[in-house]
Amino acid sequence: MARTRATKGTAAAAADKSATAKSCSAYILPTASDNPSKLFILPKTATPQARIVTLQNPRYNKPTRYLVCPSAGIFEFTKIAAPKSDPRSWLIQPQPSTTAAATETEQPATTQTAQSPTLHLATPLDPLFLLLPALCPHPSDTAAQAQQKGRLFLSPDDHLDALPDPARHLAEILSTSPATRALLEARLAAVCDVVAAGDEKMYRAPVVGVRVARGAAGGGLVDGGVESQASATSVETAASAASAASTAATSVAHEDGVAACAMAASEEVVRLQRLRVAFDFICSSYVAPPVAVMLKANLAKATDLVDFKPLDEYLARLTKLRQDAAAVRTTDYSRKRAGDEDEDERAEKKRKKEAEEKVKKANQSRGVKSLAKVNTSGMKKMSDFFKKKA
Amino acid sequence: MSPPMLSLKQETPSGRPAKATAHLLPCRIHHDGSVEPAESFWDPNAGENDTTTAYFRGRKLHGKTVALPEGYRGVVAVTSSAEEQQSRRPEDHVDVIDVIDVDAQMPQGTLHVQAEFDALVVWGHEATADAAADPYVRGVEEWLQLAEQIHSYPASSSDGK
Repeated sequence: MARTRATKGTAAAAADKSATAKSCSAYILPTASDNPSKLFILPKTATPQARIVTLQNPRYNKPTRYLVCPSAGIFEFTKIAAPKSDPRSWLIQPQPSTTAAATETEQPATTQTAQSPTLHLATPLDPLFLLLPALCPHPSDTAAQAQQKGRLFLSPDDHLDALPDPARHLAEILSTSPATRALLEARLAAVCDVVAAGDEKMYRAPVVGVRVARGAAGGGLVDGGVESQASATSVETAASAASAASTAATSVAHEDGVAACAMAASEEVVRLQRLRVAFDFICSSYVAPPVAVMLKANLAKATDLVDFKPLDEYLARLTKLRQDAAAVRTTDYSRKRAGDEDEDERAEKKRKKEAEEKVKKANQSRGVKSLAKVNTSGMKKMSDFFKKKA
Repeated sequence: MSPPMLSLKQETPSGRPAKATAHLLPCRIHHDGSVEPAESFWDPNAGENDTTTAYFRGRKLHGKTVALPEGYRGVVAVTSSAEEQQSRRPEDHVDVIDVIDVDAQMPQGTLHVQAEFDALVVWGHEATADAAADPYVRGVEEWLQLAEQIHSYPASSSDGK
């Protein structure tokens, strides 16, 4: 980063100067608006009926803003803000439009600034995540209540009523927008056992059903998302960490002449690793911790859906190889100098001390160095001058 | 009290809001609102391959244009809770009607769209923003795509697994 100011002192002086200069400037700064503009990135599919509402965040259990559109679905907001150490601000400049477009808008847009560098991103959200708190037993529930949740067939209304609704926005949305209600019911149907009771469908939330849907969401990420740069990077970092370890392990193993099996990760293992990373990410960002624990346990049990065994075996082999390699390395050292580890330690200490002294000497000024050579044997001690006179 | 429910509103009756460009400057400006006339202070020059340069108070800035992905639009908007006063009227009989009258009490704010943008320019002082590290570039380019993949679900209601 280039320096922007020569010294602190001039900065203060400059501020002073600008304060006095302001009064005689040719430009007058318009008064700051107390309601600053905000920047959003919204989906184009959102209709004018879309509302920004406050709903309970399924992960953090806090009221959070969501964009709910009857036709496009539900979107969550992600805030991007630069850290304090990296000051940023927005400058919004109207595009030099053609004259025809300029006359169309009755008031010409002005260039404006926004001090806060926040950018709000609206990204799609699977409504299922919002429904999860109603479907999964809450830690505060009694055992009986938890059992009831899993066993009873309830109407969608009952399920939706069970959701926490801090601002009562959910109730409002549901009563005014039948499309949103239909969307939520469809997502409910996707994970629940359904029974038709009269003209109304009743839903039961089997834990396994929830799990299947979670797997499906993770699978969608893996199948469709491999070519996506972002998921590829996030997944690859995990995968490459594993592969790097494997190459290290094999190279060491080769050195020792051990017939090492080629530990190149098979495609199956990489796919499983991707799936696991995706699943962990979903669990850590959209699901409350107790529910995530439950989901993980269920996923581990459901080996018919996805079997992580090859991955686990691969990782176990990897750690074993690593340990072996480390063990070989330590035995290597002891063979070289049998029995004089203490000596080694002492030598190490000595070397450290010497290095420290060298650094100290290098930092000494010439004056101090030459003064140190002076013969002070005949001189009075410095402290003598500060003693009380007898 | 939690913030009110907001609805989106286009400022212009013609429906097409003014086009703008969002510049993310590498400095903090302690001012919100209009800064007209700005032409003499801010005049970016487009260079080749998506880079622009501008001089701001004598400092050379390099801009990197980040286009928004397909299906998204940028919006500059101001929130207002003008309708809150209207909805406050039935307050005198709030005690009597408690939950039923949710509609009447629900304060409805609006998000007035002032301008639209389809690209943002991330500026760096004497250096272009690092695409791999800048939170804005990554958020726009990567997170929008990733989120779509995580949250994709079958559109039809019947074929849920």
